Amino acid sequence: MKQLDTWCSLILSYYKHKKWYSLDVAESETSELFYNRSIDRKLNLDEIYVILEELRRRGNVEWEDKRRNRCLVMWRSPDEWAKLIYKWITERGMLNSVCTYYEITDGDNSKNQEFYGLDVWLLKRALQCLEKEGKAEIFESDDGGVKFF
Amino acid sequence: MSGNTRRRGVGAIKTKTVQASKFKEKGTELASEELEKLSTQLNAFKNNLEDFATKHKQQIKKNPEFRGQFQEMCASIGVDPLASSKGFWSEMLGVGDFYYEIGVQTIEVCLANNQTNGGIMKLDELHSKLLKSRKQDVSLSDLKTAIKKLRSLGSGFQLIKAGKNFFVQSVPGELTMDHTIILEKAQEKNGRISKSDIGWERERVDRAMDYLVKEGMTWVDDKANERLYWFPSMFSIE
Repeated sequence: MKQLDTWCSLILSYYKHKKWYSLDVAESETSELFYNRSIDRKLNLDEIYVILEELRRRGNVEWEDKRRNRCLVMWRSPDEWAKLIYKWITERGMLNSVCTYYEITDGDNSKNQEFYGLDVWLLKRALQCLEKEGKAEIFESDDGGVKFF
Repeated sequence: MSGNTRRRGVGAIKTKTVQASKFKEKGTELASEELEKLSTQLNAFKNNLEDFATKHKQQIKKNPEFRGQFQEMCASIGVDPLASSKGFWSEMLGVGDFYYEIGVQTIEVCLANNQTNGGIMKLDELHSKLLKSRKQDVSLSDLKTAIKKLRSLGSGFQLIKAGKNFFVQSVPGELTMDHTIILEKAQEKNGRISKSDIGWERERVDRAMDYLVKEGMTWVDDKANERLYWFPSMFSIE
């Protein structure tokens, strides 16, 4: 159904605009995303689940818990993030050196990058993509570090 | 006696034939004279029109009302300077691509909004969106002409008249009379309508609405007492 498509793309564009990466179902029920007060219309829980399940099927959403209270929202795939990050690293001549997660998502040098403010879980996913391609190696530490090749 | 009559008869026929051919000759002569005169006149008219067009080139491009009148004048002698990108007119005026350009922009605007409105958009809305993205003024009638020309690309683009308003359909598929009537009725209700508002027998309204929902031209709303259908092409987002 086209209406479902429209909902899916609305959620993804909204999250992209807000730069948000996770959704709490109970909270979302009263958010402006699903509750339009000006026309007195809101989605109920069942309807929200229908849409989120559709997004999950498409690979844009993953449940964080079995009871489906919270989910991760990916308006851009880890692979796409990986490409953006790798491009930035290459341009800055940071290959073969180690940098922290913080530098990538919150550092002064990445302020104008799209992945500025990226959630750690999604950053890790992206870096894992690069690791698979042999372009990065992740160091498990408290701060989190990575070396790019 | 009878032979004599026959001879006279043959003579008469001969005379008639000669006369007829003379008349014909004269006739052709007259016609070609007329034709010559006409074509001279037409040429003079064309020349004047060309002078006029060159002189007012800027205005033709910028002023939609002026453009309309100019085009009417051209149509009366069988030239359509704005519609073709070949030949003297476009070379001289550089306006041949005029409708082509509007057409391309129309397609862009429609495609960008297809997901939201299911491929139907009010002509007024399209017009105001186009004006925002263009420097030149475009009138509604320019826009209509451009859309009609897009027709030659296939059935993807067409104008639909529903009541007083025009809609632009930018997806393939023909809307039936019933769909058009529903569009019209929905407009009267500010873009929100229920099946009982339409008031047809069950099967007819079901079939029509199912199609519109499937195409995304209307959205289902089950929050009211009766199921409502919202037409995204008809309400504005503040």
